Amino acid sequence: MSAAVSSIREPLITGHKTYHDITEDLIGPTEKAPNFSWVVAFLLSVTLLSFGIFCLIWTFWVGIGSWNLNRTIGWGYDITNFVWWIGIGHAGTLISAILLLFRQKWRTGVNRAAEAMTIFAVMCAGLFPATHTGRPWLDFFMFPYPNTRGPLWVNFNSPLLWDLFAISTYFTVSLLFWYTGLVPDLASVRDRAKGVRRKIYSFVSMGWTGSAKHWQRHEYLSLILAGLATPLVLSVHTIVSFDFATSVIPGWHTTIFPPYFVAGAVFSGFAMVQTLMVITRKILNLNDYITLAHIESMNKVILLTGTIVGTAYLTELFIAWYSQYTYEQYAFFNRATGPYFWSYIGMMGCNLIIPQIFWWKKMRRNIWVTFLMSIFVNIGMWFERFVIIPTTLARDYLPSSWSYYWPSWVEIGIFIGTIGLFFVLYLIFCRVAPVVAAAEIKAILKTAGDQYVGENAKKQTHSHSH
Amino acid sequence: MKDQNKEVLYGLYDDDEILLDAVKQARENHLDIWDVFTPFPVHGLDPILGLAESRLHIAGFIYGAIGTAIAFFGMSWVFTRDWPIIFGGKPYWSVPAFIPVTFELTVLLCAIGMVVSFYIVNGQGFGVDNPTLDDRITDDKFCIAFQTNGKSESEIEKLRSFFSESGASEVNSKTI
Amino acid sequence: MNQYTFDSKLKTTLLAGIGLGVLCMIATWFADPAQIAEGHTHMRFWTNFLHNTVFFTGIAFISLFVLAAFTTAYAGWYVLFKRIWEAYSFFLIPGLILLLILGVGNITHFHHLYHWADAAEVANDRVLLGKSGFLNNTWYTGGTLVVVGLWIFFAMKLRSLSLEEDRSGTADYSIHRKIRIWCATFMPIAAFSSAAMIWLWVMSVDAHWYSTMFAWYSTASWFVSATALTILMLIYLKSKGYYTQVTEEHLHDLGKFLFAFSVFWTYLWFDQYMLIWYANVGEETIYFKTRIDQFPVLFYGNLIINFVLPFLILMRNTTKRKYGTLIFTSVLLFFGHWWDFFLMIKPGTLETAEHVAHMHAESSDHGDHGDHAAHAASSFIEGFTIPGLLEIGTFIGFLCLFLFVAYSQLAKADLIPLNDPYLEESTHHEVQQDLSGAGGHH
Repeated sequence: MSAAVSSIREPLITGHKTYHDITEDLIGPTEKAPNFSWVVAFLLSVTLLSFGIFCLIWTFWVGIGSWNLNRTIGWGYDITNFVWWIGIGHAGTLISAILLLFRQKWRTGVNRAAEAMTIFAVMCAGLFPATHTGRPWLDFFMFPYPNTRGPLWVNFNSPLLWDLFAISTYFTVSLLFWYTGLVPDLASVRDRAKGVRRKIYSFVSMGWTGSAKHWQRHEYLSLILAGLATPLVLSVHTIVSFDFATSVIPGWHTTIFPPYFVAGAVFSGFAMVQTLMVITRKILNLNDYITLAHIESMNKVILLTGTIVGTAYLTELFIAWYSQYTYEQYAFFNRATGPYFWSYIGMMGCNLIIPQIFWWKKMRRNIWVTFLMSIFVNIGMWFERFVIIPTTLARDYLPSSWSYYWPSWVEIGIFIGTIGLFFVLYLIFCRVAPVVAAAEIKAILKTAGDQYVGENAKKQTHSHSH
Repeated sequence: MKDQNKEVLYGLYDDDEILLDAVKQARENHLDIWDVFTPFPVHGLDPILGLAESRLHIAGFIYGAIGTAIAFFGMSWVFTRDWPIIFGGKPYWSVPAFIPVTFELTVLLCAIGMVVSFYIVNGQGFGVDNPTLDDRITDDKFCIAFQTNGKSESEIEKLRSFFSESGASEVNSKTI
Repeated sequence: MNQYTFDSKLKTTLLAGIGLGVLCMIATWFADPAQIAEGHTHMRFWTNFLHNTVFFTGIAFISLFVLAAFTTAYAGWYVLFKRIWEAYSFFLIPGLILLLILGVGNITHFHHLYHWADAAEVANDRVLLGKSGFLNNTWYTGGTLVVVGLWIFFAMKLRSLSLEEDRSGTADYSIHRKIRIWCATFMPIAAFSSAAMIWLWVMSVDAHWYSTMFAWYSTASWFVSATALTILMLIYLKSKGYYTQVTEEHLHDLGKFLFAFSVFWTYLWFDQYMLIWYANVGEETIYFKTRIDQFPVLFYGNLIINFVLPFLILMRNTTKRKYGTLIFTSVLLFFGHWWDFFLMIKPGTLETAEHVAHMHAESSDHGDHGDHAAHAASSFIEGFTIPGLLEIGTFIGFLCLFLFVAYSQLAKADLIPLNDPYLEESTHHEVQQDLSGAGGHH
């Protein structure tokens, strides 16, 4: 291939793969019966999901009173979990879109799974606003449409409504982006399948033929969608941050919230991608496609975004003092030393301090450390939302209405249920579609395969010349 | 296309670089390629094939502009004409507050419009069963296809010899 | 031609430009508008001094930061012209000197740029008193010295390693690995320290006001300016026969950066504005209220120059590849972000100057002058509510000084770092190919 690749770059596909090997390795898993560990994981996830559904039904039956919200703290677990899931849902589009624009080739190894993860995470997130009223059958009130209730419109000035638009747009665009990318690979599955499977995959692959003109349009579409998704992904978490920052609550109203929330979202999203990738590459035996180089790159992004988030924490803290505004100062003092001090410690520890171990290359390339760290970051980012939401609300302007919030078993159950839902969907996805974008891997084989670049390639050309 | 069955003569190549050379050769010999099928987008193929630049982005711009207009003028109409309400001491026509929804609808309409246009111009859709020449095209084979309806024996022979010269690993014909 | 020669003709032109700047600055010294002249603050001169110093030092800083970020991200395409950013980063040295002049001025009070530097005022102002732990001369002067000194250290370190790479062979990448470590180390240091410096240099001009977004916002402004200046520099050097390997592919990518970061700047602008507008807290809204009411040309012009025009012009791929549109947009944005800093600095300092003039008037027993000063703010004041010719002249002077430093540095080494491991990728750079690894149109 004519493309010049620096020999300092590490290969992204190892094991001297041919095009056919790639098809076998990546399409193959959809054709085999699930192995034992998959079945166990699936059953476990379904159990969690069932408990979550039970808790949701309980909420609807008993009413929202089964949650531990009170007059002071009207936002608790529901919004915390919503923001946490939405944050996780940011990595997929980031990997597909921003890394594509920044020409980071390692994205091809993880983009498909990350996009799928995005969609599932947004589904989990959407569950909370949809159910937090306790009357999900009235959710259509949220949408603006000409109706029989008089000329009554939704409040377009409300950030909560912006959120509805942002999240439904994000979900739709992510779904389109993901599915459009998936179609050529589904055609690959179709062309290897027989009987009913062939019929099904023929239906879902939408008559893809691989014609040059189609590929040209396909690439064009992917590029434009990536270009659209980049500001979109920024806008979504920005709008989530507006939910808080447009208010006049000390600790919420601060202008850094939009970029800080976006960085945090990317941070937690990458952590979740790491969690999934470490497991997936092991179970589906994809070490040649999700290499240590991929893991290391993602760990670097985690370190980078973790440090950005840390900068934002310290900026907030400093400006709270600098503002000389008593309530603002107290809000931060309360976070660190108030009744929820443990969640502040969890946040600072997991998000700012612990990720610094990724300054060491050895740590970045260690699978176990990576996995453990990804869990830490997920926990830390959950704490961050918890710190922002109940901690701030618990200390009102009026000390007489100060309160304390701890979730009820129903709220915890719903959260567990969303984790179940997420993994059920992901596990099904692993079975029915290639988790690594096969066509994209083939496209970079000659610029990133280990027979073409990196240490092995050097040795080969060396031996050829003798 | 549907009224007439296509008779197609096609050759399969094992590698994208061989394919590129073959396409170049075909263009030099003024052979009229019907289509090229590949398992992944091959870099440098479009200019050799002489494919015109896609106009999808123009369509996208128009869809996006429609989204912008609907959202911005819609909200402006609702809050200044249809049912003006003051929220939080802000003016009826609160432009900064309209920006987020305007942006989201722009992106939404642009994305949906482009994806739908893409599948329509491609002749694709759920359940559409476009005939394929070979199952291995989505695996590791690269295919150049010529339409042979009404072509004389000698012309077809010329195509066959082109395939063997340009390094095709297999040559087949099919009616689709 | 890989060796740049800084010819005498260009030298003369730039020196003439610097001379023009000096003349304009001398003229500005005596050109304070009537309502603040009584305070003898020479505010127009000092704000221009601060404005241009911060703007150009920031460009030098952000060039270094971009170099570090790209190296850390394993980017390859920019390597051909990375020497330009190395050269830009050397303006940090004159930048430090200029900033120290301001710092000394805070101590000896030969300027009144900062309200908080006036001990008598601070003593009577609870908010400023509370802030005095940070808004003080130790942090301003000492902090500037340490932080910018540190940036200079990194700039010189990266430059010397880069030159060492030129001399050593290509066989092993040990020097490149060293560069990478220094770059990665610089990033968090730069992020924290630049924020603190921006608060001190620029945000504290409005001593009571604060915004956590402010540092991000100004940094984005610097970034767009630096990208614009890089594009102009590349096109100029190409026209002189240098950098023949730099093609429209590279310019296309720089154009994309220009476009993307103009949008990003707008995003930050909107976030900051919208949140303050929405929450409607008086202490915060005063910042925008002043600007909208008294500086409408600057305020709306800022958005038109820095968002609307570049957005419309650079939206198409073809305009990012043509010299004409690129030069036009780059000049526009470079000036536009200089304008943005003008808007950040002038309103606050004008208020301080009027305050000083007011005090002065009161002490010299002309009671009515105070009212006069308070009302003057809403009128049209050249050099404050809009840049006048003297401001443009000063801007040109500083730009010529910046370019003089940059060209001197460029002349000292090869224009293209021949032993950089990514050079090959950079010379074969094609926009479409790298985007998805395949396919493409031209």
